[in-house]
Amino acid sequence: MLSSVPMKFLRWLSLGVFLASTAAGANAAACPDGDAVALSLLDKMSRSLRQTNYHGVVMLQRDGDMQVMQVSHMVSDGKSSERLAELTGRGAQVQRSAHPLACIHPGHRLLRSEELLPGESCGIAMHYRLAVTPGERVAGREVIRIMVDPRDMYRFGYVVDLDEETGMMLKAQTIGHGRKVLETMQFAHIVYSDDLPEFSRADVVHKAQHVVCDSQSAPAQYPITRAWNIGWLPRGFTATEPSTGTSDRRTYTDGFSVFSVFLEELNVAVRAGEGLVKRGGTTSYTRGMHIDEQPVLVTVIGEVPANTARMVADSLDWLQ
Amino acid sequence: MNEKMGESLSALMDDEANELELSRVLAQVSQDPELRRSWMRYNIAQHAMHGSQAAGLDWDISGRVKASLAAESETDTEAAGVGFKQRMLRPFVSLAVAASVAATVILGGQQLALIGSDDSYGSGRSIATNASPVGMLNSLGATTVQANYGMQAVPTLEPANSAAYQELALQRQRKYMQDHAEQAALNAPQGLVAFARVPQLQE
Repeated sequence: MLSSVPMKFLRWLSLGVFLASTAAGANAAACPDGDAVALSLLDKMSRSLRQTNYHGVVMLQRDGDMQVMQVSHMVSDGKSSERLAELTGRGAQVQRSAHPLACIHPGHRLLRSEELLPGESCGIAMHYRLAVTPGERVAGREVIRIMVDPRDMYRFGYVVDLDEETGMMLKAQTIGHGRKVLETMQFAHIVYSDDLPEFSRADVVHKAQHVVCDSQSAPAQYPITRAWNIGWLPRGFTATEPSTGTSDRRTYTDGFSVFSVFLEELNVAVRAGEGLVKRGGTTSYTRGMHIDEQPVLVTVIGEVPANTARMVADSLDWLQ
Repeated sequence: MNEKMGESLSALMDDEANELELSRVLAQVSQDPELRRSWMRYNIAQHAMHGSQAAGLDWDISGRVKASLAAESETDTEAAGVGFKQRMLRPFVSLAVAASVAATVILGGQQLALIGSDDSYGSGRSIATNASPVGMLNSLGATTVQANYGMQAVPTLEPANSAAYQELALQRQRKYMQDHAEQAALNAPQGLVAFARVPQLQE
């Protein structure tokens, strides 16, 4: 038992050295705090999440509640198809098919070292302190653990366990203030296989939207009459899609955290106020206010602290 | 599904499963369609038992309104020494608390702003014209209460206002969570699991 720890340590260390020497790690080599190894692993994780064939059972724990779901992810002809079926609750399903592997959304671009913008060679390590440690087993697989600690108060921390062999993310914990675990997602069982598992029939099947990579964002559900702008974003967050100015929604990601801002115009005065709903690692913040005498309702939903949501809502303004 | 598995599943449903049983069920559930069906049937039955249909509303609006009213009547008891005229005016305030909670729950988007001219809550009309339900409550607090009870009564309305905004936040969470999940699923490592955070998935 005692000898297994140093052995394991050597194993992940040698893996890290190998990864750091690959092309993906080259960009990050100049970063401080030995982040290069962690950045290489995150790069591998992002690719693995999109390119691996697997199916299994995932648990999501929030606020003392556990949801269980069946998942599958298959790749063929350069396109991925994935499916999630709730095994608890209503048994709803979500499907996404024919998602081109070449289509890399901004969140994954931030996780991949080679996709970084010039001058941002340390990428996600500029906003999170990264540390690689040996992990326990998850779903019967050996894992490498990455501690992802925020460098500011505007985002949560994460502890991610990656399959030592494949780089798949097998467990992710969202860590709030006081190191409180807000949400845990983990595989209870995973099979790397090309065989598509059987799924039960479901009453509710949602076809996940597929935002084509180079297109404009989807038409707004309730377009806003004036173009609006968000004056403040935490560092490192980037829009998930091009904005149409009058769209009622904007979404931003830093690679780990995602939040969306929804704007509604009201046609009579509103008494200013705010409401907050927290569930696991998700914050939903609604604020009634006036911008240039126009009454509006702003809702910020996402995996960020309430303070971030409030500050983002506060910075909303009309363009001109 | 063998008998042992059935027992483990049943223990899991009753929150009595040990770790061994939990891992046994989880390891088997993706390969055993019968186990999966049983699990979902148990879940639906459990939802129904707790009064929230698996496919229906899973929270009780009337309960929240009652709670607001209960809070109000407590204040009534405390304020038993106030004059007849003031006591007569109390129901208006209570009704407004209930109405504003209910209104923020039921109405959406643009309708929200129109509630000020709505007569569905009768007595609130003359006071609350041209205000949203969120504002309506607050303006009731600011005008009627201050005029009739002095500053003392204002704090009893403050929580009701934040309760109204709280309901609004909950309603907006339900309205927007799936739209957010669409983006989160593409831009965070958890992928499709983002949809599991949606309170009630729609097609």
